[in-house]
Order: sequence, then structure tokens, then C-alpha cells
Amino acid sequence: MQVVLDPTIRQDILVTLLFVFLAVGIELIAGLILAVALAPRSLSNTIGSTILLLPFAVTPVVSALIWRQLLNPNYGWVDYYLQRLGIIRRPIEWLSSAPTAWIAIVGLDVWQWTRFVALILMAGLQGIPKEPQEAAAVDGANAWQTFWHVTLPQLRPFIALAVLLRLVEAFKTFGTVQILTGGGPGRATELISLTLYRIGLQDFQIGAAAASGILFLILLSIIVSQLLQVLGKNTELLE
Amino acid sequence: MADIDTKRLPLKVAGRLVVWGSIVAALVPLIFMLITSIKPTGDTQTIPPKWVFVPTLEHYEAVFGGQTSSSQAFLPLLWHSAIVAICSTALTILVGLPAAYALARVRFKGRKFLATWILSTIMFPPIVAAIPVFIIAEQLQLIDTYPILIIPYTAFNLPLVVWLLRSFVAQIPAEIEDAARVDGCSRIGVLRKIILPLVVPGLAAGAILSLILCWNEFLFALTLTRSDVKTAPVGINEFTGMFGTQWGNLTAASTAIVAPILVMTLVLRRRLISGLTLGAVK
Repeated sequence: MQVVLDPTIRQDILVTLLFVFLAVGIELIAGLILAVALAPRSLSNTIGSTILLLPFAVTPVVSALIWRQLLNPNYGWVDYYLQRLGIIRRPIEWLSSAPTAWIAIVGLDVWQWTRFVALILMAGLQGIPKEPQEAAAVDGANAWQTFWHVTLPQLRPFIALAVLLRLVEAFKTFGTVQILTGGGPGRATELISLTLYRIGLQDFQIGAAAASGILFLILLSIIVSQLLQVLGKNTELLE
Repeated sequence: MADIDTKRLPLKVAGRLVVWGSIVAALVPLIFMLITSIKPTGDTQTIPPKWVFVPTLEHYEAVFGGQTSSSQAFLPLLWHSAIVAICSTALTILVGLPAAYALARVRFKGRKFLATWILSTIMFPPIVAAIPVFIIAEQLQLIDTYPILIIPYTAFNLPLVVWLLRSFVAQIPAEIEDAARVDGCSRIGVLRKIILPLVVPGLAAGAILSLILCWNEFLFALTLTRSDVKTAPVGINEFTGMFGTQWGNLTAASTAIVAPILVMTLVLRRRLISGLTLGAVK
């Protein structure tokens, strides 16, 4: 009961939910835009989608270390080139304040995974029949209406699959955030997996860690089983 | 037609911008890593960033020769990672293929439930497993040995690979199998002579997925290894030690970790996509 009532654990769960929601949400929207842009078959799109595969093969520990260097306020590329472009006036200490640290951790996840979402959706776009879209165009629907009312519903199974796979992985996030912010500043980016690591494997409060772990697991199973049901209804992917 | 083309033009331009912007964003951190790894030590941290410099391999020599202030030479760590990844992948495929075949073909009670249950285990967060595994490993004195990484990695990747292979097996027409069975081939014989050759693409997808996940894994390796089987992702973190970060060495080691999987990704990209989507995209 101590764990359930512990406000810091509850805050970490909220932090985790927010992280997952932001990261997966942005990845889905950006991935959809990218998928639409990449879907027409052409040479540059083939080359493009091959290059876009690279980030998700990069070892997460390495990408977190590289990001930390790029975001360094003294000699990082990000601050320097943002100043050169006139977007910011003085260097931003990305990892020292909560809002910018959030931009950093969500940004890293988005960098690593948006293209994965895009590739799933692109496979969907290339696989769905073209006739309904053409019919809609003949009936006078504009590009946006066709996309929203015809293409998007056909894509639903692929969207559900992408969301499921990303959601599951985003909840497991550990290494990248541990290295990038270590949960800081303060506890602003302390995901539940970081807390579990700290209390279980560094402070050796095994009981408390196990209790929080089970709490986390229950939460996850509720969310994932709901999603699996949605996925099962919309697709034959599970057959 | 001309009317439609002029209307579509801005959309096309926007599409190109999205694609190229995304490619640049994908590449910048990788370019930074590669460039920094061949800069002379004095040039690794400068403002403005130096784009003109004399390329050097000193960092690679230091990293592979073990002449860094990190506690351990880096090359053995890459070996440890490779051994763990290859053994675990072999084990995963060995167990996963028969399991996938049974789920796809053999009619038994609770099959559907079992299949869904296997899929739902992919959500199991490694951190929740890490604590009990650590306690067990300590009591069995398995800390810092190969099995204590290989077994949990296999356990974590098995559901993914089973699910993936199941969708590949399900695609093979059952008639081929039935014909072989009528001709007197046993179940094991069918699996070996008919299914195995036909699911090679699936096996490739499963293998590359498992290799990448094992190679990149950080949490278990951090918790369960000390020095004898310490893997590369854990070792690389030590370049950011108390003497300040050695960026040249760090980026050289990063490149060494990332290079093998980037090459594999480019060569086997289609298989990787099908692996990552658990066979939904073939």
C-alpha cells in the first residue's frame, strides 16, 4: 500500500503516460505525413525510404550519447546552428530545465521511431486499392476529403498496428532517457522504468520495486489488452 | 488534366520537402558521429564546428588498442556482444520455429488463447523482469556469465519471433503439406523438408530482428555483467567518465557499434521491416 499511495510513484506513472502519449502521438502524425509523401513509387522515394531506415538500427545508448553532445550548450551543433539561423539568441541549456528536457527526450524518441511508423503506414498506403479514391475524386471530393474519408479508414488496421508496436516499446523506454537526462532535472523526466531501476537495483528496496513493478504491469496490461481488441476488430493481422 | 496538375503542384513540392527534411534529420546525428570520430582531438569540441580538418584514425587506434582512460579495452566488448547476440538468436530460432508451426498448423485446445497470450507478453517491461532475474542470477552465481544474458534475451525475443514466424507459416498453402503427409512424411519431416525451405524469408526477418535487439540491449547487460561478458552498449557509456568525455574515442566506439547493424539494415531492409512489424508487412 505504501507504494500505491506514494505520490512520487504516482507522479512517475503520470510522467510515463505523458511521455508515451506525446512520443507516439507525434510519431503517428509525422509518420502519416511522411508516409503520404513517400508512397508514390519513384527512385528518390526508394532511396529515401532506405536512408530513413537507418535511425532505428542505431543502438539507443549511442543515439542518446550523440544527442547529449549535439544539445550541449557550449559546443553542441544544435545551439550553434539555431543561433546562426537567428532562431534563438543565446544558447539553450536543453537538459537543465523541465520543458526543454522534455523536448529532448520526446525529440529523441521521435527521431528514432517516426520513420518506423511511416514505413508501416506506407506499406498500408501502397497495398490499399486505388479505385475508391478515384471514385471519390470523380464525385468531386477534393484531395483532403478523399484522404480523410476514404484513405484514412482503409489505413486503420495499419495505424492500429503501428500504435500498438510503438506504444509497447515506448512504455519500456529506459536506456535513452537514463543516459540523456537521468530522470532530471529534478524528477521532471523520471519515467517509471527509471524509478524501478533506482529503487530496485541501486537502493535494493526489492519489495518496493516489486510492488511498483506489478502496478506498472497491471496498468500496461489494461492498456495493451484494450488496444489488442481494437486491433483484432479492425484487421486480420491477428488471425 | 493541366488544371489538376497545377493544383497538385504545391502538394508535390510539400511532399518533396517533407521527404528531404526527414532524410536530413535522419542523417545529421550520424554524420556528426562519423565526422567527430575522425577529427583530431583538438578539433572535436570547437565553436564554430570545424568542417575542414585533417582526418585521423587516432581515435579508432586508441579504442581498439585499449589506450583510452576507460577501464577496459573496447574490442573484447564487441566480441561479448556478438557472442551473446548470435547464441541468443540461434536459440530463439531453434525454439521459435517449431512453436510457430504448432500455433499455425496443429489443432489443439486453447490454441487461440495461447497465441494471443504469447503476443501479449511482448508488452512485458524488461525492467520489471530485471529485478528478479538479478536476484536469481546472484544466488546461482551466474552474474557476469554468458548464459545470464543469453537466456533472458531469448525469453524476450521469442514471443516476437514466434508471432512473426507464425504469420509466415500460415501463408504456406496447407495442400503442399497434406500431399507430403499422404505420401508418408512425418510431421517432423514436413517441418524440415517443406516448411523450413519456404519460411527462409521469415527466418531472415526473425534473425535480423533478434540480432539487432540483442546487440542494442542495455538494461540487462548493465545489471547483470561486470567485466567478463560486459557488452558494448554498457562499455561505451564509460567513455563519459570522471575525466570528462573523450568525444573522439566515444564517437569512434559508437561508429564501431553501429556500423555492423547499419550495414545489415541496408542489406536486409525488407526483411527487417517485416520483422519489426511482426510479419504484418511482408
